[in-house]
Amino acid sequence: MANLVIDNVKKRYGETEILKGINISIKAGEFLILVGPSGCGKSTLMNSIAGLEDVSEGRILIADKDVTYTSPKDRDIAMVFQSYALYPNMTVEQNISFGLEMRKVPKTERDVEVQRVAELLQISHLLDRKPAQLSGGQRQRVAMGRALARRPQLYLFDEPLSNLDAKLRVEMRTEIKKLHKKLGTTIVYVTHDQIEAMTLADRIAVMKDGEVQQLGTPQEIYDNPANLFVAGFMGSPAMNFIPANVIEKEGTPMLELATSSTVALPFPKSETLKDYIGKTILLGLRPEMITEPQPHKEGQPFVTTTDIEVEVTEPMGADTMILTRVNDAEINCRSNPMYPAEAGSIIKMMFDTSKAVAFDNESGERIDI
Amino acid sequence: MSNLNSTSKKAVGRKTSGLDKVLRVALYTVLIIVAAFYLMPFIVMLITSLKDVEEIRTGTLLSLPASLHFDSWSKAWSSACTGSSCGGISPYFMNSFQIVLPAVAISTLVGAINGYVISLWKFRGSDFFFAAMLVGCFIPFQVILLPMAQTLGWLGIANTTTGLVFVHVVYGVAFTTLFFRNFYQSIPSELVKAARLDGAGFFTIFYRIILPVSTPIIVVTVIWQFTQIWNDFLFGVAFSGFDTQPVTVALNNLVNTSFGGKEYNVDMAAAIIAALPTLAVYVFAGKYFVRGLTAGAVKG
Repeated sequence: MANLVIDNVKKRYGETEILKGINISIKAGEFLILVGPSGCGKSTLMNSIAGLEDVSEGRILIADKDVTYTSPKDRDIAMVFQSYALYPNMTVEQNISFGLEMRKVPKTERDVEVQRVAELLQISHLLDRKPAQLSGGQRQRVAMGRALARRPQLYLFDEPLSNLDAKLRVEMRTEIKKLHKKLGTTIVYVTHDQIEAMTLADRIAVMKDGEVQQLGTPQEIYDNPANLFVAGFMGSPAMNFIPANVIEKEGTPMLELATSSTVALPFPKSETLKDYIGKTILLGLRPEMITEPQPHKEGQPFVTTTDIEVEVTEPMGADTMILTRVNDAEINCRSNPMYPAEAGSIIKMMFDTSKAVAFDNESGERIDI
Repeated sequence: MSNLNSTSKKAVGRKTSGLDKVLRVALYTVLIIVAAFYLMPFIVMLITSLKDVEEIRTGTLLSLPASLHFDSWSKAWSSACTGSSCGGISPYFMNSFQIVLPAVAISTLVGAINGYVISLWKFRGSDFFFAAMLVGCFIPFQVILLPMAQTLGWLGIANTTTGLVFVHVVYGVAFTTLFFRNFYQSIPSELVKAARLDGAGFFTIFYRIILPVSTPIIVVTVIWQFTQIWNDFLFGVAFSGFDTQPVTVALNNLVNTSFGGKEYNVDMAAAIIAALPTLAVYVFAGKYFVRGLTAGAVKG
């Protein structure tokens, strides 16, 4: 168990800068998720933490020890790979104990450790098999077992679930979360799946183009995205971005919304919009904040009910997504499946702007912070 | 199980139309003709080696021996004259083994390590290094004869078995590197990363993880190198001494040495003996050969 400090880490390949000064610091026992689109540098950062790639600049500290130039095997970390990277010629047991063997742990201790890990992951019955004889989920468990056996200070997971089918992925996700709760280990976990990021992380680092866009708890990132990219990346379906004119009404800036009729939406931190009066901003509103009229919300501040025209409905079981156009932008609304919404009809919807955010139309940065 | 049986019966009992049968017969006829065509030289060699000289002179090429004479084989093996010595080809046969076995082993091992480095421990310029190695595959034998003779002289191993082993290793490494590199290209580099994090070093990873999965390509390389080196004549004739000639050179000498009439039966027996080891290697490991050659080549 150890803390991890990434201090202004840069990585260059010739002219191209892959990592442009990464600063992340996590406490012992914390679960950090690096998330971002492919090519954002998250895997490079992971490899740098592992020591599989050298950094061009900056420092990496594990347990307050500078390991920037330490070889991978002396960093006391274990990694779970996307392809599992199980040694094909070895049995499950040998796979799990290989790292211990390399560290000259006596055979009897190795056996005890293998048993412990196998029981923890429920793979005791597979110990004599070769990786080729295992299913995807079983391989995944063995790969985790190999990491757990050495009890390292830091665990790295490189997209460990992306090779599993959807159902198994959800199962393993829960299992990893349980395991983390049980063992209290420090974990850095790379994924491009924002649901994995939301469900697993203590903190999420959203990356793009070799830079950390935002580092925060899942809820912070969800409710308070630092910029347009983070807002659009996290959440499924994605946040709606509605270009809206800022108008002044009774001294407070409000947002003009043209659906079937035109209304003015109130905005929580309206004073931040003062400079934008007469201009267009991007209003960020999550689909679940646009719903069928809910009686208990009636009369609350920042709640506006208006008519919209339904373009398409997508029933998802628990909710029905309603697609409509507002200010010429296509938006998603999340409504109760019982609420009647025929394609082409005009229905009443409730816009709750209490958690709305505003972005500069040009730079994509948050305005209302 | 019963299900399986009934379906297989159905497949066998499928009605074959008349045309199908005709085509099938035609197919096998062609195959048999082609096979016979390829086997013919060997059959001629075999029956010629079993006739005596008199019968060869009077009979036709394809006529079967009236009685079997194995003395040409023993003569070829132990008493036929190759140049000025008359001890058969057996000493040279042993020479060939002394050249081939170490040369195959060393070139395969070096190729494996080269391929391992080029594919899985990429360094700055490793692709260039590989391209440079590849050029070695296209250098004709004749080109390196003189510089190699010079080098062997400097190293003090001219006309020795060691010298020939050296030549074959140097010349063979380009090919073996290519084979192993292509094979290891299909091994995920994450395997090496995982092993490094587990604490294994360069050679431990090679020995414990990479080599155990390399059987198909090792077989291919061994077959390739074995046949190449065993069948080599040019290096053998250029760089060997009188006592260190490989069997190919001795066979040539045997065929070209004649006192009185030509003993075709002895020539044929000697030629078959000289070809037996490569034949054996193909028979025992042939199925791996095709499998290994296509590995890596047809990677998705």
